[in-house]
Amino acid sequence: MDISQMLKSLQDPMGVPFYPFVFQVLLVLTFALHIIFVNLVIGGVFMSVYGYFKKGNYYRALSKAFAKASTINFSLLIVLGVAPLLFMQVIYDPFWYTANVLSAAWMVGIVFVLMAAFSFAYVFYMKLYKDRKHIGVWGVAAFLLILLVGVTMHAVSYQALFPEQWVNWYVGGSKADLSGTILHAFQLPRFLHFIVASFAITGIFMMLYAWYFKERDDMDKSYLAWVGKTGAKMAVTFTVLQMVVGVWWLLSLPSGFQFYRNPVFLTAGVLVVLLLLVLIEAQSNPQKYALPAAGLALIGVLGMTSAREALRMLYVGRYNYSVYTYKLNLSYGSTALFAVTFLMGIVIVSYLLSVVFKMGRSSKPLDLSSLRLRTWSVYLMIAWILIMIGIGVAIAS
Amino acid sequence: MYPVWQVPVMGSALVIAFIASFHILPSHLATSAFWFNVYVENKAYKENRPELLEFIKKYVLVLLIFSFIFGSLSGVGIWYALTVAAPKGISALIHNYVWGWAAEWVFFIIEVLAIYVYYYTFGRVDNKTHLTIGLIYAIGSWISMAIITGIMSFMLSPGKWLTTGAFFDGFFNPTYLPQLLMRTSFMFAVAGLYAIVVAGTLKRKEVASFIIRRASVWGMLGAVLTALFFRVYLWSLPAPARELYGMSILIPKIVPVIVVAAFAALLAWFMVVWLRPRWAKAVPGVLAILILLVGVFSAESIRERIRKPYVIGGYMYSNQIVPAGLPAKGIQGDLATIDSVGILHYSPFVPAGLRTIDTADLLKAGGEIAQIECSACHTLEPNGWLRPLPTMVRMAGLSSVDNAQAFIGFLDAFPFMPRFAGTAAEKKALAAYLVSLYRK
Ligand code: HEC
Ligand code: HEM
Repeated sequence: MDISQMLKSLQDPMGVPFYPFVFQVLLVLTFALHIIFVNLVIGGVFMSVYGYFKKGNYYRALSKAFAKASTINFSLLIVLGVAPLLFMQVIYDPFWYTANVLSAAWMVGIVFVLMAAFSFAYVFYMKLYKDRKHIGVWGVAAFLLILLVGVTMHAVSYQALFPEQWVNWYVGGSKADLSGTILHAFQLPRFLHFIVASFAITGIFMMLYAWYFKERDDMDKSYLAWVGKTGAKMAVTFTVLQMVVGVWWLLSLPSGFQFYRNPVFLTAGVLVVLLLLVLIEAQSNPQKYALPAAGLALIGVLGMTSAREALRMLYVGRYNYSVYTYKLNLSYGSTALFAVTFLMGIVIVSYLLSVVFKMGRSSKPLDLSSLRLRTWSVYLMIAWILIMIGIGVAIAS
Repeated sequence: MYPVWQVPVMGSALVIAFIASFHILPSHLATSAFWFNVYVENKAYKENRPELLEFIKKYVLVLLIFSFIFGSLSGVGIWYALTVAAPKGISALIHNYVWGWAAEWVFFIIEVLAIYVYYYTFGRVDNKTHLTIGLIYAIGSWISMAIITGIMSFMLSPGKWLTTGAFFDGFFNPTYLPQLLMRTSFMFAVAGLYAIVVAGTLKRKEVASFIIRRASVWGMLGAVLTALFFRVYLWSLPAPARELYGMSILIPKIVPVIVVAAFAALLAWFMVVWLRPRWAKAVPGVLAILILLVGVFSAESIRERIRKPYVIGGYMYSNQIVPAGLPAKGIQGDLATIDSVGILHYSPFVPAGLRTIDTADLLKAGGEIAQIECSACHTLEPNGWLRPLPTMVRMAGLSSVDNAQAFIGFLDAFPFMPRFAGTAAEKKALAAYLVSLYRK
């Protein structure tokens, strides 16, 4: 069967309930959030283990801070992964499902690997706070398992891009595999692009940490300054390395793509060069530059994830696949449901974040009962339920 | 058609079943526990009983670690297992309900933030704020359950959706409300059970017995209401599902008995600890939770079975073939096409040598067809765990190819099996394969 015809036949006949472009934007946006937290977990778990093995009080304190932050970031990583998982399946279903089935045992297996990784990271964190000895093995194991998940996610994302190989991987030749126990494709520079970035992003996170806690009167100022400096150094070093890996990746792409001329990629490139300049400037006073650096990093990651999507469009374009021609079965009602829920979510999330932000900066208990978003958050959820009951009653009658 | 993931002996369907059963406990805890929590915390502030807060801290920590992390990961696990075991099924669900799931995701984000903020702001913010955050978590997690119940009950009874294809017609389907009420009541029973275990470990006995008594009242009420709504739910089932519910080869008579027995045991446990709070030790408490788990597992497995032969009621068979299509969404059924071109041509993931029956190894081609059309419900190995096809074939007495061919022709005379799809030559190949299993 012709590949592009096969892809067409695999697309869901149900169609998509809203314009595919919207799903694409949501995919890129939520993937950017996912990968930032992946970066923070990889870098954070690494730093907590590294700090544990290094001598010195500062390293020990940093290790503890990262061990705790990483368990929280880990949970966020999981929830933030759900959204791209969803949107991916809406517009790239032929690619995503086939690639997953072809490595099914791995994909199901990583769920258990994730559970183990989290548990180990948690044990490490608990023991660290109790100042136990010889606990490095928990941290190291957690780190390696997290990398293993990354390897799997990369391989599956990557093998999705080669539909002409699928049948062969599944039933052709001597290496045919029906039980999904093989990872079929791997591109080192692409994988490293996610790993090296982890250390740059974690460095920026440390700058933010130093900036955020400097208001706290019970925190050691020179420790914070040290965290900021170390973070800034890390950020700049690994941003440069990241650029090297990026060029390596660029060179290993199919030459027909001419990706170095792609406007999305070029925009992202300009953004990260700007980031690098800010980071160089930040070396002398990391706390001052923490916010601009974090902001630029966020935009830079968004730029890079957009470029990654542009690259995917080139890959799938080789088989005349375009998300924009997906069959439409417009459903305004359910689209509105999401839009309203999303707006409500922004309000509630802002409320929760403002509570944490204020609390973290204060060494004494706070009275935040007068925050206006507090009652709004509860009312909005109740309104949400009432609206749904209204729709339900209307449908039933 | 996507490739079929082949899991030796166990079968891919059981992979889903195992992960889904594991998911039951943490997920129900995660949705239910906070209601009790907020109730006790509110009492502690109102009646100025700070000693109650000791309970809350213990209660939340386990929740955060066990329930939240393992609940969300096993939830993702079910999704992944479905993705690889029934890609077309989950694809159909997602293309229908993506905005529902996306809305649910918003609540996931709210929940994960709320539970951490709640935990880390203990004693560091005012009482009102802290209570509000607990409430946000409780409401948010109830809503995410209300959403996923809509999608799950849709799979069982799509209702008007089959003619209109409209999102809300499928969401608010005939079994939605009974299921939502049943799960909501059940939630309170779980919260009670769990609170009893935690309270049993408290050092201050008067605090412990206060909480245990309250929790057992919650539990009794929850359990009784659950039973009531379970009845209503059975009444609300569509006729074909009710017919399957009555078939003992599908649902052994013991299964409903287990559900009722588990329920009775729970009720007894709540009464015992209400009378004698000091008997609420960890071992019987955990045992009670396990009994509950067995009960839920049996009830859920009933739901899975009465959906047969469909993965999405009336729309898609368990083997991911869409028999009749859905005109409202411009979807044509697969049957006519498959009957004319053949299943081995229809699926792109068939070895080239097997596509044309005349030249292919007949048994191999038949095996491939069984893999595609039967393995969702039958493992193919004799020692398989899920209705192994060799055993089935012997049960049906399919000793000759003619016999087997006739059987396949009337497969959908069994209310729980799909109609066979394929050409006459493919039917013969499958028949030959089945007979070879008979002889094994
Ligand atoms: C939707 C799920 C489903 C699918 C798909 C399915 N079956 Fe079944 N089948 C069942 C169930 C349920 C039973 C009853 C199990 C029992 O008796 O324990 C059954 C029973 C049987 C029996 C025994 C019948 C008897 O007389 O007792 C045979 C033979 C059989 N199936 C063959 C097949 C073949 C061949 C296919 C593929 C073309 C197939 N089944 C596909 C669910 C399915
Ligand atoms: C420790 C845990 C995890 C790590 C290290 C990790 C890492 C990664 C990496 C490196 C990629 C990019 C792959 C590439 O483009 O080559 C990726 C993509 C992705 N991940 Fe994760 N991930 C983790 C957990 C999760 C979880 C729990 C989910 C789902 C809930 C998830 C969902 C996704 C999705 C949907 C993509 C996008 C695939 C694409 O766009 O091609 N991830 N992940």
